[in-house]
Amino acid sequence: MTALPDTIRVRLICFSLVKYALGKDQLTVELPTGATTDELEAHVRQMAGDRLPAVPLRVAVNQRYAPAAATLTDGDEVVFIPPVQGG
Amino acid sequence: MVETRIIDGPLPPLDDASAPAELVPTLRDGQDGAELLFHGRVRGTEGGRPIVALDYEAYLPLAETELRAVADDTASRFPIRSLVCLHRIGRIEVGEASMRVIIRSPHRTEGIQALAHFIEQLKDRVPIWKWGVTAEGERFPSRGGHGAPHP
Repeated sequence: MTALPDTIRVRLICFSLVKYALGKDQLTVELPTGATTDELEAHVRQMAGDRLPAVPLRVAVNQRYAPAAATLTDGDEVVFIPPVQGG
Repeated sequence: MVETRIIDGPLPPLDDASAPAELVPTLRDGQDGAELLFHGRVRGTEGGRPIVALDYEAYLPLAETELRAVADDTASRFPIRSLVCLHRIGRIEVGEASMRVIIRSPHRTEGIQALAHFIEQLKDRVPIWKWGVTAEGERFPSRGGHGAPHP
């Protein structure tokens, strides 16, 4: 499906606490054209409710770390990055 | 020489003669006075709960890029001659190694400093996460991480 002219669709891939809170590996989210990663994060936190603790989330867009409030475009791949735990 | 890999499977044995030379400490050219071998291992508790294993997951495209960037940054900051890091993903039982780092340098001090820097940066930047697995089979996401007391 193609997004309406005044909306975009982004693919949200979920890991760790975000995956646990949303209960999904990935989902497609429709947003107003010009939406930012901050607005998407607010949407994700609203969907997750109390299941997502108040941890800081960094954001990656199209497989790179993105600055805060980066503007999203149709077809972007977005990952919110909870505190990482490698090692 | 810098080599980083994220692997879904066991680490090669340290004495595995068939493993690629860069993945095991086999270099013997007489220029390195120090060789540091670090293994990160799975503890028996996660977030205060007893576990039998951790499931490691990664956002692979970014994790591979960032792991390499951290290794390159470390090699540029410290006078070391090589840095190899193998980080596992998938299920890893308590006591098993989740990560191997091998650093070689002419002298020990810079090698030790490089190892500390590398691990600190890895724990800040590389998108890898842990899920605890209990004896009953429950999986729960770790809440540890950057800024936590003991990630």
